[in-house]
Amino acid sequence: MKKLIILALLIPLMLLVFNCGPEKPKAKMGDIPEWYLNPPQAEDAIYQAGDALKMSMALAKDAADARARDAIARTIEVKVSNMMKDFMQQSGMGQEAEALEFTSSVSKQVASTVLKGCKIVKREMKTEGSQFHGYSLAEYNLNTLVQETLNEARKQKALYNEAKANLSFEDLEKEIGKLKEVGKE
Amino acid sequence: MPALRVLLPLLSLQLLTFAQQYIPAWFENLPSAPAGYTLAVGYSGKFNSNLRARNYALNTAFTIMAKQLNIRLLFELEELNDGRLRLLNPTFKQFYEETILNNVKADYGVIDSSITAEGYFILIAYPRLERLNLPDNRDKNWGPRPSWVSGQLPEEKGFVYGLGQVARYRSWVRAWHDADEHARFDIGKNLNIKAESTTTSQRDNRKTIESTVIKQSYDLLLKNVTVVARWFDPATATYYALARAPRQ
Repeated sequence: MKKLIILALLIPLMLLVFNCGPEKPKAKMGDIPEWYLNPPQAEDAIYQAGDALKMSMALAKDAADARARDAIARTIEVKVSNMMKDFMQQSGMGQEAEALEFTSSVSKQVASTVLKGCKIVKREMKTEGSQFHGYSLAEYNLNTLVQETLNEARKQKALYNEAKANLSFEDLEKEIGKLKEVGKE
Repeated sequence: MPALRVLLPLLSLQLLTFAQQYIPAWFENLPSAPAGYTLAVGYSGKFNSNLRARNYALNTAFTIMAKQLNIRLLFELEELNDGRLRLLNPTFKQFYEETILNNVKADYGVIDSSITAEGYFILIAYPRLERLNLPDNRDKNWGPRPSWVSGQLPEEKGFVYGLGQVARYRSWVRAWHDADEHARFDIGKNLNIKAESTTTSQRDNRKTIESTVIKQSYDLLLKNVTVVARWFDPATATYYALARAPRQ
């Protein structure tokens, strides 16, 4: 009986000392999905990939999804900015400084608001030792982006016009005030 | 190490005994409900008393049904990364109404139930439905790997889908619970999510430190979010759930 107990204690000790447990697999290039290294490209959609290494599979998925979506959000600001510049050049709208300000304002608003219908189209989960390595590919439809940009541009324009109208009203009030002062004299 | 070669597969087999091998067909793929009705599945692990197992499964089904009918989901994820360490902080909050839960308890009908070697399963309908012809009510093994497992979610006009996946759980009941919840939250992310990120770069003569803060969040009220399919991968002991909701 004693021999058995000693043997039972010795086996895990030997495993620790000689490290003859299963070898920890490391990420190999062949394990990385092709779409992660070279995300697909399309005229009508933006694709971005994200990855995360976590102990929990659910967390690895959440983090990889979030990083892919974040990459989309950062791409959007550049895309919208270019879209607005193209539009302004073609339509010959606005003065240079004003147009730039308007473009930057719209692109920032669209990028920092909401991603509507941004979905994960591909996902892979690999194990690396005791951890999970999640890879996600996010897709965002450009038609949605164009619509969002148009809505934001309309909103910004309305705000701008309202501000201009308020400004004129204030100017008018000032002028009236001046007239009243003159009347007193 | 021949002893290890024998021991390791035995150990992995022992781990799989906590997983699920045999299930009713409607647990894998939820049948479609007649107009005006909603179906939900409840489940429980092994109990000594079948009555207690049934009660546990029934209570799970009530909660799932209440969440299905109306749920408010709040999701927030923050990740801080300064080049040396990465901190991820996701928050999941959900609210469902007690009045809806009580309504479900007062007016439900049991469509089918099943006792397997691993637990108790129950399929309920709300409002009460006396009979429903199920396309398949056998107990079976898991079917082949569905395509939605790898992220290719079904494309259906007017609906949005979400995927939940968890692994390495000792209790299959807990695993399905969490996979279902993750699938519900995934729907919100695919519908409407606020994404913000800030990257700052600090440079001195010797080094550059780049730090990024990612923030993503949503607060949505969803109706009819249903877990329509589940799949278990015995090779990796991974539990997958697919949820569907109408676009609102």
